[in-house]
Amino acid sequence: MSAAATTAHAPTERPSALLVYRDDGAIARALGAAVAPRLRRVPAILPALAAVVPLLVAIAISDARASNLAAGLVLAWLVIVGGLSHGASHRDRMAWAVPPTVRLAEYAALLWIAALDDVASQPAAFALLCALAFRAYDLVYRLRHQASTPAAWVNAISLGWEGRVILAFLLLVAGALPAGYFVWAAIVAAVFVGEATVSWMAHARGQRTVDYEDEEDEGQ
Amino acid sequence: MDDATNTTTAAATRADGRPAATRAPQTITTGPFAVVLATAPARDADGPAALLPWESGTILERLLEQLASLGVTRAAVITRPAWRRDVAAAAPGAEMLESGDAAADLRRIADVARDTTGAVVVLHGDIVTHREALAGLLADPRVATGVLGGGGALARPFAFRFRARRGRIISAASPYHATFRPTAPFLGALKVAPNDVAVLCAAADQLAGATEVVSEEWLGELRRKEGMWRMSLYRRALDAETEEDPDGAENAAEGPEDVDDDDPNASEEELTLDRFALELSEEDEIRVRERVAAAPDDVVSLLLVGLVRDGAHVSVSHLRKLFWARPLSTEGVEQASEDILDYDEDRVLLDSAVKARDGFFTTFFVSPYSRYIARWAAHRGYTPNQITTVSVLMGLVAAILFATGERWGLIAGAVVLQVAFTTDCVDGQLARYSRQFSKLGAWLDSVFDRTKEYLAFAGLAIGASRMGDPVWTLACCALILQMVRHMSDFAYGAGQQQAIGATTHPPLTQSADTWSAAVEVRREARAKAMEQAAAAGVPFEEFVDESAPPPTPAERVKRSMRFALKAWHVLDRARPLQWVKRMITFPIGERFAAISITAALFTPRVTFIVLLAWGSFAALYMTVGRLLRSFSR
Repeated sequence: MSAAATTAHAPTERPSALLVYRDDGAIARALGAAVAPRLRRVPAILPALAAVVPLLVAIAISDARASNLAAGLVLAWLVIVGGLSHGASHRDRMAWAVPPTVRLAEYAALLWIAALDDVASQPAAFALLCALAFRAYDLVYRLRHQASTPAAWVNAISLGWEGRVILAFLLLVAGALPAGYFVWAAIVAAVFVGEATVSWMAHARGQRTVDYEDEEDEGQ
Repeated sequence: MDDATNTTTAAATRADGRPAATRAPQTITTGPFAVVLATAPARDADGPAALLPWESGTILERLLEQLASLGVTRAAVITRPAWRRDVAAAAPGAEMLESGDAAADLRRIADVARDTTGAVVVLHGDIVTHREALAGLLADPRVATGVLGGGGALARPFAFRFRARRGRIISAASPYHATFRPTAPFLGALKVAPNDVAVLCAAADQLAGATEVVSEEWLGELRRKEGMWRMSLYRRALDAETEEDPDGAENAAEGPEDVDDDDPNASEEELTLDRFALELSEEDEIRVRERVAAAPDDVVSLLLVGLVRDGAHVSVSHLRKLFWARPLSTEGVEQASEDILDYDEDRVLLDSAVKARDGFFTTFFVSPYSRYIARWAAHRGYTPNQITTVSVLMGLVAAILFATGERWGLIAGAVVLQVAFTTDCVDGQLARYSRQFSKLGAWLDSVFDRTKEYLAFAGLAIGASRMGDPVWTLACCALILQMVRHMSDFAYGAGQQQAIGATTHPPLTQSADTWSAAVEVRREARAKAMEQAAAAGVPFEEFVDESAPPPTPAERVKRSMRFALKAWHVLDRARPLQWVKRMITFPIGERFAAISITAALFTPRVTFIVLLAWGSFAALYMTVGRLLRSFSR
């Protein structure tokens, strides 16, 4: 194998899909980077599960009633441990299970926060989830077909999953639900859909072929 | 439903004279550069096989015409010095390159490819196939670097095979290279994307050097292949004698399936037979001799090995059910020209426009008629993007009807949702049928699929609230479940790609690929242990293979997982069970059907409970399957 030819195919050129799918924000990245040297050999699914299990237990036993302090503790654990998992290994055999676990944690937290507020907040939670779902799919499809990720400013506005959980909790504490969720959903929906459309239009004009990864959507 | 669209609808010029109704030409700014090899000799005529007559011209002329109609702007033909004049006469527009042998062929290819800026196509000049088969490789924007593959029995006896996973080639065979458990034949046409051309040139140079003086290892591999070919001919002759093989006679022209050393169906006895002592009929002896003689000239397969071993992302464009042949003799050409008439190209294209692995509901209740809608849409000149838009609008109408909450609204919404789903199947089939793929279309299609589904959720939840039965929490849970399920699919696929991309390939000088090398080591250890046992006087029946190291705990887990998976796959042999297994995964057709039926007959609450119950079961089922697969690696 010639050296020149080998470098042409460095697998690192493409951003690691699993890390992109996680959709981490600045806090998770910082936490992950801080512990990366220690956690490099730990499969990321372990801290990810450790982060999400207390939340699921809390949802099951709280019956939509919990003090702000209790909820805050559960969510803080989720954000911190989930953020640490960013620095663990995403190359082991169970790495594929990490992004769905992170998504489950995020969406369950957002729904739970709405439930803690009031039944009237549930439609707002649905709207917010729809807007965020668009981003999750957009990350996947853009990486697959364009081999790229959304613009940096969009990623900043998206806050990352842990940023969203924190913002939702702050809205709950401030008594800004359900209006807060609705406004938030409207803003990010406009940003996500708008930027994605512009990006795709530009991509379609200068269409070039990219390795097509047949990721076979079994459950579509 | 993944692929769709482009907005090009201008009529195509057809090489085979059929009406230009539907095939859209691709907007290729700089067409690929084709390097055509007219080096294989005709078996029963003087000259290259590429110059065998086809209709009023030659095979080569036909092929060059097909390539030109697919946007190939520049072609070069490599041939032997003695044939140069005749080939030049048959290919007036092409550059002529002379070469004496395979090594020189490779050098010529490297020389001409180095100067090009666009894509390069390398193929045998004696291929007879449908234009659409080549179009699938050349004009599909989703294939950057790729090969034409498949064909099953048609590809025997001259094609080497490759092993593909998730649409990407992970190992390829050539006269001098082995592939562990190949999955499909390589049909002698290779497209190399501009950013892989440097790899192609480097590989060609290296291969040229290695083919000049072929190493012992490479010769040994060719010899092994000869034994394999002898074995398969012997096996077929035996089957024909005992008449055990019902399609033996039918396949006689194509030659038997190659027997692999690691063929799980091969008996121990067959594997230990001395293949060169097998007695073959005179005809079969000639067959083997010709095949062995022709093999070293197959530089296209060597180049494929070069690309794959260097880690290039080589995808596969399937022949589908179209025709392909390398006749190599006057008799073969006559046979091919008869055979190709049996193919209804339009029919094949329409049938293969339907996705092979769709769910039960889509396959049996939608695809049977949606393909005709697709053809109708193609003839009317509609683009897949237009169909996609219609589909999402209908999804919106269905959601609004659901939002009324009234019984009539739920029933009407259910019907409209089904129409929207059918339309959605049509757009993908239209894209595949009329070959109007685009990244934008694929994106629109995927995004609108999700949009329709979640719009229906919203409509149902609004309708339920109006009827005094708020179900927003259930709607949120259904949405979360579906999202997480999709994310699991995506991430699992990405994980597999990551593993494939991380495969380390052995250097080109080694014949065995990563996997067959491991098998070889194991086999040698066993043979050695057997020899020692025989020397020590242990009877053959009492021989216990102790050469293998005792399994580690991790190894044991792996084995039991593999065993569980195998047992699970046994179920696939019964077709009805296969459909049940596919239904369990709750694919999109089943989900839309479940929404429509439960909404029309019951209440939105029932719809969400069904979606959650079925979806949770599907998630559990698929997670268990993926865990097994993850730990059996």
